[in-house]
Amino acid sequence: MTTDPQQQQMIREAMKAIAERRPGRSKLVYDKTKRTIVAVTEGTQSPRALNITADDADMFAVATLSSRWLREQWEKFARDGTITVRFSSWDDGEAFTQQELGPLPATSLVDGTLSTPDKASSATRTLLFLVLDPAKPDDSDLAVFTAPDGSAYRARVCEGADPVSVVFADVQPALAKRRASILETTVLADKSVVCVGVGTGGAHVAIELAKCGVGRFDLIDPDTLTVGNVVRHPGGISQVGRLKVKVVRDLILEKNPDARVSIHPVAVTAENLETIRLMIAEADVVICGTDGRPSKLLVNRLCIEENVVAVYGGAFRRAYGGQVLRVRPKASPCHECFVAAMPEESTDVEISSASAAEAIAYSDRPVAIEPGLSLDVLPIANMLTKLALMELLADTSSSLDILKADYAAPWYLWLNRPEPGTPYADWPPLSESSDEMTINRWYGIDLARDPDCPVCGDFISSVAASYGLDFASLGALPSLPTKE
Amino acid sequence: MWMNDQRKRLCLENEVLHKEDFTQFSVYWYQSSDTYEASGTTSSSSGKLYTLAIPIPSGFPQQRPPMYLTYPLPLYTAAGYLVSALGTSHDMHTLAPSSSGQVQICHWRDDRWHSGILLHKVFLKGLLWIEAYEQHLATGRPLAEFVSTMKERI
Repeated sequence: MTTDPQQQQMIREAMKAIAERRPGRSKLVYDKTKRTIVAVTEGTQSPRALNITADDADMFAVATLSSRWLREQWEKFARDGTITVRFSSWDDGEAFTQQELGPLPATSLVDGTLSTPDKASSATRTLLFLVLDPAKPDDSDLAVFTAPDGSAYRARVCEGADPVSVVFADVQPALAKRRASILETTVLADKSVVCVGVGTGGAHVAIELAKCGVGRFDLIDPDTLTVGNVVRHPGGISQVGRLKVKVVRDLILEKNPDARVSIHPVAVTAENLETIRLMIAEADVVICGTDGRPSKLLVNRLCIEENVVAVYGGAFRRAYGGQVLRVRPKASPCHECFVAAMPEESTDVEISSASAAEAIAYSDRPVAIEPGLSLDVLPIANMLTKLALMELLADTSSSLDILKADYAAPWYLWLNRPEPGTPYADWPPLSESSDEMTINRWYGIDLARDPDCPVCGDFISSVAASYGLDFASLGALPSLPTKE
Repeated sequence: MWMNDQRKRLCLENEVLHKEDFTQFSVYWYQSSDTYEASGTTSSSSGKLYTLAIPIPSGFPQQRPPMYLTYPLPLYTAAGYLVSALGTSHDMHTLAPSSSGQVQICHWRDDRWHSGILLHKVFLKGLLWIEAYEQHLATGRPLAEFVSTMKERI
């Protein structure tokens, strides 16, 4: 970036003229002989080569307005000739972003005004005073706004003000366009996901699904963001003390402003089971990212009873690895089947919080909180997201269809390191293995449903038979001895 | 509030208890409050009487049911302290006591519990705990030395 004050002034004048779309004293031109950009200013000597970098372009502020907001306000604007608008001011005025674009404003807000040219002279001046001039329609030009009546406009700052480039953001079409090459559908906008637990993994999954375009979220988590969480959680230090569901809601809306996000700062317990059942019954997929088995078992029961696909993810202790279980009710093993089939794996969980440690500690035998690294949790969260996405798109044609066979297994195992004291301690080094199991690879593992499962199988008949009880033939419930 | 499957399961639990000759224990229905409890009084090998009570939580069988020793009350350690005052103790295999000071016997921890565990096995662990408790009273050694840490498969 040039540090020559004279060069900076010449660039500023030239850019200001460009922003205002008027001829200026200074112009930026390409000098073929010097093979560089030069600034040409009236009345100066021969032009000097400029050392222009991308940073020079950043000297000029950019103001971003919401196209949708302006379309919604167009009738009022057309009638009154002016309309007020508030901007987040970022980085000492390097960027101004209309507040309506997202949920997280800057600490510095500035008032702005949009005005028609004929009202510009009489309207009250604000810090950012923008005038809309008629322009040639051009959908590809971010600086051009198309009004509901088809007329097009460009915005400029008033003469004499610091130069500001004004662009219009049509958020949903822009986001959809970026997703369209792989997700050739907008069906995800109508899909609903319940996220049970929005800690590090659950939050990551929710945000990734929002990026993919999922339109509705129910976030369930009673915890608040602590300072220690920040090394892993997508929420930052400035969010400490807030409920995680609120932090994640805002992060979702930052990625998908049209998403409908409901927050529920509660734990999954038997006491609020029916409330959670209502959410799950409305969901297309349930994401279960909680550490504790009690909540997983309750969620599993509700998902089986309401016939909703659930995906469970969790890291092993200190995140040396992790696992993901996808449950298609009555079609694949449920979480209770998994617990019965893989008792050791199902109890190998990360102790990432005080509540998780407390759940397994004794007063005379405390348990240390040993969270793994964020980078070791994210592969598991990514897999969970992918499996959830496959389920959400199960009935829709997309480029992801070719993955259906790859993701046919119900259970997936991942190792970050061959942790001593585990069955994986002797796995060969990644660099020396060709076909043996190693770290940093996903393994899809087939599991059979347990026909006698207490949740998705016929546990009662099975137990009755094993004890020689003719329970099925009893029909109505046998009466129990009653205590008053 | 109770699902039909839960009521059916509790009937099964009652049948299994009796089928396994745990006739001192039954599952009871409190009609006025529509709540359930499995309970009964048993005698240890030394002939002392103990009452075990398992109030059935609304999330049963996914939710682990607590098991309290309701008689004798209070219960003392070999050193003469209240067992309930130890709270969640590995040495004594106890969890948080009830509000009225009844000792909660640790049968399965929440992170090990699953819906396939029958109350019969919970009571079985209660009987083992009682025998270990009497050994603790006789020797002064921690109760945990007389019962092995509980495994998932049982």
